[in-house]
Amino acid sequence: MAVAPALPRAVDAPAPAPARRRAKHRWVFHAVMGPVAFLWVLPLLFVIVVALRSFDDIATNGLGSLPSSFTLEAFGTAWTGGSIGGALRNSLVVTAATVVLVLFLASLSAFALSRYKIPFGRAILLAMLAGNLLPPQILLIPVSKICEMLGIYDRLFALVAVQVGFGLGFFTFVLYGFMRSLPAEVFEAAKIDGAGELRTYAVMVLPLCRPALAALAALESTWVFNDLLWALTVLRTDTKFPITAALLNLQGGYTTSWNVVAAGSLIAAVPTTIVFFAFQRHFVSGLLVGASK
Amino acid sequence: MGPTPFTTPSLSRRNLLLGGAGAASALFLSGCIGGSPAPSTETSSAAGDINAPLTLQSDLSDELPKKAMESLVAGYSAHKLTMNTVATEQFRAQLSSYLTSQNPPDVITWLAGSVARDYAAKGLLLDVSDMWTGDGACAKFSPALKALSSGDDGKQIFVPTSYYWWSIFYRKSAFEEWGVKAPTTWDDFMAMNDTLKTKGISPLTCGTGSTAWMASGWFDYLDLRINGAQFHRELLAGKHSFDSAEVRKVMDTYATLIPYFDPKGRSYSWQEAATPLINKKAGMYLIGAFMTSAFPKGDLDDVDFFPVPTIDPSIPSAEEAPTDGYFASAKTKNPAGTKDLLAYLAAPAQQQAYIEGAGSSNLPTSPDVDTTKFSPLVQKGIKLLQDTKEITQFFNRDSSDALQTTADTALTRFLDHPDDVATILKTWQAAAQKIWNS
Repeated sequence: MAVAPALPRAVDAPAPAPARRRAKHRWVFHAVMGPVAFLWVLPLLFVIVVALRSFDDIATNGLGSLPSSFTLEAFGTAWTGGSIGGALRNSLVVTAATVVLVLFLASLSAFALSRYKIPFGRAILLAMLAGNLLPPQILLIPVSKICEMLGIYDRLFALVAVQVGFGLGFFTFVLYGFMRSLPAEVFEAAKIDGAGELRTYAVMVLPLCRPALAALAALESTWVFNDLLWALTVLRTDTKFPITAALLNLQGGYTTSWNVVAAGSLIAAVPTTIVFFAFQRHFVSGLLVGASK
Repeated sequence: MGPTPFTTPSLSRRNLLLGGAGAASALFLSGCIGGSPAPSTETSSAAGDINAPLTLQSDLSDELPKKAMESLVAGYSAHKLTMNTVATEQFRAQLSSYLTSQNPPDVITWLAGSVARDYAAKGLLLDVSDMWTGDGACAKFSPALKALSSGDDGKQIFVPTSYYWWSIFYRKSAFEEWGVKAPTTWDDFMAMNDTLKTKGISPLTCGTGSTAWMASGWFDYLDLRINGAQFHRELLAGKHSFDSAEVRKVMDTYATLIPYFDPKGRSYSWQEAATPLINKKAGMYLIGAFMTSAFPKGDLDDVDFFPVPTIDPSIPSAEEAPTDGYFASAKTKNPAGTKDLLAYLAAPAQQQAYIEGAGSSNLPTSPDVDTTKFSPLVQKGIKLLQDTKEITQFFNRDSSDALQTTADTALTRFLDHPDDVATILKTWQAAAQKIWNS
């Protein structure tokens, strides 16, 4: 996790194997991984098929049967009746606000902790890490009550605040490790050139941390976007629900229109899919933050 | 619980950081935007504010019922009213936090019976007794509904607006195809089960997989038919033992039905279990009238039902009719407005509009609703409940959700191992005793 990112490293290319052996390996690989990949995609296919069926078809032939109808109606119902559109907007607002805030705050605290001698710095860091080990379930009631006491219960702001609060510890910890690995010489050079703390942070540290920040932004946006627990804990008004809670609402008290639920889930998956493809590179590097630039 | 004393000036950054997790940052952030001060302990509880806006928290998230509720809300103009719809399971889980929050929703959709009574005993529900007397909105409702809507102290805390019936549902065209008729006696019923089985049809479909409570439907009805409604109520109230000769008799009859159940039913939810009935692979389904919502719209005219046949003629007839409606939070800021809204929702015109709009097979609680336009199925349901001597609700509504869990455990085990009935009943009684004692 802490290899100097500035130093280019030779990529360990695998020793060239004889062509025939490689071809055989590839064949075995595909024979094994093909079915596994299919199994992996199967649930997704199932959801797509269900979303394209009509309610009457599902009711008559069962959820697991082969489709005998084709309709896009469920998408319309989910969008309008299930107010998926408004919920998507809520989710995007919460996600964007959380990601920006949490990265800004975490980079500030990581910068301070990694570059300056702060009394009890290590204790602060460990407390942040320890906070992440607590299962969030045990904090549901306190968080809900605290939000009420502060008068922010049932506001999107509360959700952002809670998400930022819970993300801060982990992101500070990761960024701390990354910033520690930045070579001290760069900072000395900056100092000699007369850069103050804020200037060092804004002009030097942030650009150098870009790979880490991008990876964390990608991770955090999927986490926040897919979160259901906190949304249900601090929100009560259905027009403020993010997409995950709105999807639950598609499930009726008596009957569940599986096609509408499936269609809603597919719509809900679009933004995370976009984030994934846009940040694909960073998801992988997110696992190796600091290992290579 | 007032707001936490806020000592920002003396709060050093170190202490703030040491404060650690979410609580501190939430405090800090709210300080930044100067969040509105938390409402301190109610100062205006008795008189209230007649102009305060109202909130209606609804668990009617099914498509058509939700639309019907939205048009009812749109038609209400006396106060500013917003409705929140939350899916039932989340709603159930959050109900107590709604009621205990400082700024609770004013009117809440829920079930009559023990749940409402429990909340009333904790002082969380608004006393609506005046709506049940004089020319109040509920004054003309039946005495049975009034008893159902009363708390332990005799005050009314619930406004029932609709109910539905349980029966054995079937497809008319399927019965014609198989050459059978709706039975009127228990022996006919069992003989018909045999006939259907020899034709390769599962006589009874059931969905006791993810909806294990469905197993209580048959238990309730067999107990009502064998031991009567009085015994059934007392049993659920803890005055009799599940490990008794009477209950044993119920279970023995239940065991004779098990061979006729669709074997796949043990893994179905109630909704999935409707599929064999729809495509005529199963004959009958003991379930509430809400099952019509799982049917394709075009086939609804083909649905009919007959009541669970009498087993012991000396026992007065009884049917299950779970009742839904509204209660209001005791902490509402606008009690007069809340009651006005409740009266609006309980009025005959709104009951009728809801039932028609929701496309449900619910029955109105107000005797003034014009029922002539309702479907023949619903009319038949109304007649069934008018003719029956006793009305119960359903296992959980007559007892508690906690006792329902013990029933789910016991009955699903029983369906798998009917021979173990002795141990199952003993375990059930022990589990139930713990709940009655607590």
